[in-house]
Amino acid sequence: MAGYHSVKDILTICSDEKLPIWKVIMEEDCIERQVVQSESFAGMRAMYTAMKQADKSYDSRLRSASGLAGGDGEKLHIYNMSDKKLCSDFTSLAMEKAVKMGESNACMRRIVAAPTAGSCGVIPAVFIAYEESFNVPEDRIVEAMFITAGIGAVIAENASIAGASGGCQAEIGSASAMAAAGLAYLAGGDNDCIVNAMAMALKNMLGLACDPVCGLVEVPCIKRNSAGAVNAIASAQMALAGIRSAIDPDEVIDTMRRIGNAMPAGLKETSEGGLAQTPSALKIKEKLEEI
Amino acid sequence: MNIFDIIGPVMVGPSSSHTAGAVRIGYISRKLMGEPVSKAQINLYGSFLATGKGHGTRKALVAGLLGMNTDDMRIPDSFEIAKEQGMEVHFGEARLKDAHPNTAQLILTGQSGRQLEVIGQSIGGARINIAQIDGIDTNFSGDYPTLVVHNLDQPGHVAEVTSMLSHKGVNIATMQLYRSNRGGEAVMVLECDQEIPEDGIRWLEKVEGVKKVTYLSIE
Repeated sequence: MAGYHSVKDILTICSDEKLPIWKVIMEEDCIERQVVQSESFAGMRAMYTAMKQADKSYDSRLRSASGLAGGDGEKLHIYNMSDKKLCSDFTSLAMEKAVKMGESNACMRRIVAAPTAGSCGVIPAVFIAYEESFNVPEDRIVEAMFITAGIGAVIAENASIAGASGGCQAEIGSASAMAAAGLAYLAGGDNDCIVNAMAMALKNMLGLACDPVCGLVEVPCIKRNSAGAVNAIASAQMALAGIRSAIDPDEVIDTMRRIGNAMPAGLKETSEGGLAQTPSALKIKEKLEEI
Repeated sequence: MNIFDIIGPVMVGPSSSHTAGAVRIGYISRKLMGEPVSKAQINLYGSFLATGKGHGTRKALVAGLLGMNTDDMRIPDSFEIAKEQGMEVHFGEARLKDAHPNTAQLILTGQSGRQLEVIGQSIGGARINIAQIDGIDTNFSGDYPTLVVHNLDQPGHVAEVTSMLSHKGVNIATMQLYRSNRGGEAVMVLECDQEIPEDGIRWLEKVEGVKKVTYLSIE
């Protein structure tokens, strides 16, 4: 485990050693895995490259084994190309990429778990859309990925990144908080701005249940990736505007843990509650069992 | 958790536990076998059995047995590839008591006729635990070079194994000992920081009282 165990630890190391957050995270990785900085950086770049490849290889004709997932990313793409879209180019693109990645995952394509497979669309959607829309050098995105990963490690240690133990707030919520921190950095936010973007994004996702229909990583997971991406953008923008979370970032993470513990088992990936037990879901289940 | 457990692994979807973890169980079993698998009886338990179809769990286990890793794009086509390579595969229900919800039991025959039975658990985030080998409880992740020695429960075998490792400059990370009963069958599982040279393994196989040596190389 790394030499930091909380958001506060990261910020303390930053101010003691006069280093940016991403570098603190990278240096800790070097110590932990006994690698040099160039290896650590190349490793993170490889993750981002794999995300971009997954984004590019989206195929709108694919359908998942259940037949429930596929083709929606293309619908968003066509709508985003029209002059009727509601969001900015950047936000529209992030939504579209998030749905596409979630669909690729459901259709057994290669993705990067970030932090999980079910939430794999949020972080690449925000970062790749940002790179394409704002034309920043790739190295900057890789730096943001370190921030994202370090925040994720703190969440994993103090709360959870698994739907089975913390509900969807631990998966899409964590991904959204991680993406918000990275995005705030990319848009020029200082350390305080970065951790507040994270805190606000996670707060907005607290309590989210993991209730997948038929236990599959499809409904409601895929569309929730777009919600996670848009929430990350909203939270980063609030933080960049100078808005601060009233609740300390580490306390927000601890709250996610407590809410996860208080959640009934039926809302933690068992498909015994929530959306998975609606008449619509049960009808889908019946149909699937015939296949 | 390391940051590359958070961002990563690169994997074929849709589920880190039901797809990537299943590939790992197959992959580690293939490595433990040490030779191509010609016949596999795959028994599923719990959630693997219940929701495995939609997650591609069966295809993932077969892909792993064929030597594919979690990011191999051929995972969805593993059944066809198994057929081409002459690997016979059968599926069934594992009859286990109080096992982990994501468990697979693999009963394997290698090309030389070597037999191996593995029970693997997918414990989340594509990480796995090998919970049983040939009917004896174990507990290892497959992330380290791992040596599994089946021997008679008699004095001296632990010393023989550890002095061989010391002689070869291999550091032991963890070590576990199990036995069926006093003086019966015993198993030791050693996770190491370095790879064990081939001649060390061959030497161990010839030691009196050692019944079977299984080695997991992560190279």
